[in-house]
Amino acid sequence: MPVFNSRTAFEVARGIKAYLNVEAGLTRGEIPAPAKASQVSKAGAAQGPPALQARELEQEVARLKAKLASYDSGTGIGPENIVWIFCSNRSGSTWLGSMMGDIEGYEMWNEPLVGKLFGDLYYQGAEGHKDREAYILGTQHKASWLNSIQSFVLSEASARYPEAADGGYVIIKEPNGSIGAPLLSEALPESRVIYLARDPRDVVASGLDAGRQGSWQFKNTANRGWKREALADTQPDTWVRRRAQNHVRHAGKAKEAYEGHQGPKVLIRYEELRADTLGTMKRLYSTLGIPFREDELARVVEKHSWENIPEEEKGEGKFYRKATPGGWREDLTPEQAKIVENVTAPLLKELYPDGEMRA
Amino acid sequence: MGSNELKPENLVWIFGTGRGGSTWLASMMGESAGGRFWDEPLVGKLFGDLYYSGAGTVQSDWDDFVYARKYRDVWLRSIRNFVLESASVRFSGVAENDYLIVKEPNGSIGAPLLMEALPESRMIVLVRDPRDVVASNLNAREEGGWLAEQHRNAARTGDGLARRNPNAAIKRRAKRYVENVGNAKEAFESHGGHKVMIRYEDLRTDTLGTMRHLYSTLDIFVKEEDLTRMVERYAWENIPDEEKGPGKFNRKATPGGWREDLTPEQAEIVEESTAPLLEEFYPSREQGNYG
Repeated sequence: MPVFNSRTAFEVARGIKAYLNVEAGLTRGEIPAPAKASQVSKAGAAQGPPALQARELEQEVARLKAKLASYDSGTGIGPENIVWIFCSNRSGSTWLGSMMGDIEGYEMWNEPLVGKLFGDLYYQGAEGHKDREAYILGTQHKASWLNSIQSFVLSEASARYPEAADGGYVIIKEPNGSIGAPLLSEALPESRVIYLARDPRDVVASGLDAGRQGSWQFKNTANRGWKREALADTQPDTWVRRRAQNHVRHAGKAKEAYEGHQGPKVLIRYEELRADTLGTMKRLYSTLGIPFREDELARVVEKHSWENIPEEEKGEGKFYRKATPGGWREDLTPEQAKIVENVTAPLLKELYPDGEMRA
Repeated sequence: MGSNELKPENLVWIFGTGRGGSTWLASMMGESAGGRFWDEPLVGKLFGDLYYSGAGTVQSDWDDFVYARKYRDVWLRSIRNFVLESASVRFSGVAENDYLIVKEPNGSIGAPLLMEALPESRMIVLVRDPRDVVASNLNAREEGGWLAEQHRNAARTGDGLARRNPNAAIKRRAKRYVENVGNAKEAFESHGGHKVMIRYEDLRTDTLGTMRHLYSTLDIFVKEEDLTRMVERYAWENIPDEEKGPGKFNRKATPGGWREDLTPEQAEIVEESTAPLLEEFYPSREQGNYG
C-alpha cells in the first residue's frame, strides 16, 4: 500500500509533456499505526519512518522537476546561467554589475527585489510560522516551495532576457533583496553567487550622504512620495543606527547565502576591487568557473573605472560620491562610527579584522 | 484522485480579516469538504506585501522590478503555479470533485493578485464590523490573552504595544483591517468567477440561512442535512464554556460588543481609520443595527 504517491505532468518544451510518477510505501504488511519514537528507532532505523521517507521523496520529486524544467529545450534560462550579486546597498554592486553586464553575452537584471519578496516574509514577517505545515513557506514542504521559487526566478529571467538562454548569463544585482539570498541560493543551487563585502562604516557614510536633503537618493524617494523630511539631517545618529541595522540585515544574509551555497561562489571585498580591479575581476571569473577573455575584461574595467566617470557626476550628494576605502574617518563622527561598529560587530570583525575599531 | 494536481476551480478562498470569524466559517465549510481546510497559508501576504505596501506601489513601471507591469502575465502565472503546487503537495488526497477551503484572512492584502492569478477559483469575502475586530484583537493581545501567550511561547518580542500603548495598537490594527478588507473587497469586485460577500453579523444571526445563500451563490451543492449538521456542530452554543470568554480564542461572538470593550476615544480611532469601509458595510452603525 503506498504511503506516498505523486504523479506530475509538466511541459518541458512547447507541445512536449513530461510525466513523473513516484510511488513509495511498505512492501509488506498493513499501513502501520503511528509509531512512538522509540519504536521507530528500533524497527525503522535503516529507512526512517514513512513520514520521513515521504518528505525525502517529495524533495526528490521537486529536485527532478526542477531539473527537467531546466531542460526547457533552449527556450528558457537555466539556473547555471544565473549569477547573483548579494551585498548591502552602497557596496559597489552597481559598479560591479555594470562591468559584468557590459560583456557580450551577459545581461544585468538590476534590482528585481525578488529576494525581498521571499526573504521579508520568511525571515521577518512570519518567522514564527515555519513549523506550521499550512504555512506557504513551512519547513515541511521546503523542497516544494524552493522549486516554485526557482521557477519564479527563471520564468521572469527568461521573459526579460531570452537571448541569454543560449549560453549567456544573467547577472542579478540584488543588494536590497539580499535578505532573501539564502533562499534564492538554495532554490537555485547551480547558480553562481558573488558576495560583495564592504566596510560597513563606509557603507553607512555613503548612505548618510545619500540620505541628506538635496542628495540623489533623497530626491529619488521624495519624487516617489516616500519622504517628507531627511532623517539623515534631522537625526543623523538615529539614521546611522538604522542604516547599520539594514546593512546587517542584507550583508548578513548575503554572507549566510555565500557560506551555504553549493555551487560556484566567490567573496570579494569592495576595497580589493578598488585597489586592483582587473586582478580581482579575473579572480572572480576564475573562481566562478566562467570563461572570460582578458582583453574584454580589461575593456570593461577601463570603461567603468572611477577615473572615467565625468567629474560633474561625482562628489558629495551624488550617486558616485567618493569611492575611497576608509573615507568614513572623514564622514562619520566618532560616535557614529562607534554606533556602526557596535551594530555590525560580527561582520566587521570577521571581514575586516585588521581595521581600526573605535568601540 | 489519482493525480495530485489540484484544480483551481476547486479552491474556495475565504478573505477578510483576522478576528473576523473565518475560523468558524472555515470549520463549517471544511466539514463538508472532507473535514479539512488550508489554514492560513499566508500566500496572500507573501505576494501582497511587496506589491501593495512595499516597493510595488511605486515601482511597477520599472521593467526590472519583479512585479513589473510589462511582465504581469509572467509573474501571475508563477503565482498561480506556486499556489497550485503548494496546495497539491499538502492536499494530494482531495478528490477530483471536492473543494479545498483556503482560509486566508491575514493574507487578504494579496487577494486581488491571487484572484487574478486563479480566476477560476471561488471566493468568499467575510466582513465584520472593524470595531468588533479591533476589540477582539486587543483582548487577545492583553496580558494572559491567547495571542499574547502564543507570541511569548514563540519568543516574539516587541508585540507588547497593546499593553504599553493601546491607542497606537488600535490604530495599527485598524490600518491592517483596511489593508486586508479593502483588498478583499477590491478582489471581490474584479473577480469574474463565483463569489459571495457575507457579513459576520448575518452569519451569527441566521447561520443556516447565510450558509445556504453562500453555497448557492458559489454554485456548490451541499445536502441540506449536511448543512444543518455543520451549523449545529460549530454553533457558539456548542463550544464548551471553559473554552469561551475574555482572553480566549472564542471570546464573545457578540456583534456590537465593542461598545463595552473600547473607550469612546478608541472607537473613534477605528471609525476614522476605517471610515469608507465602515460606511459601506455598516451604514446604520450608529444605531447598532446590523440587520
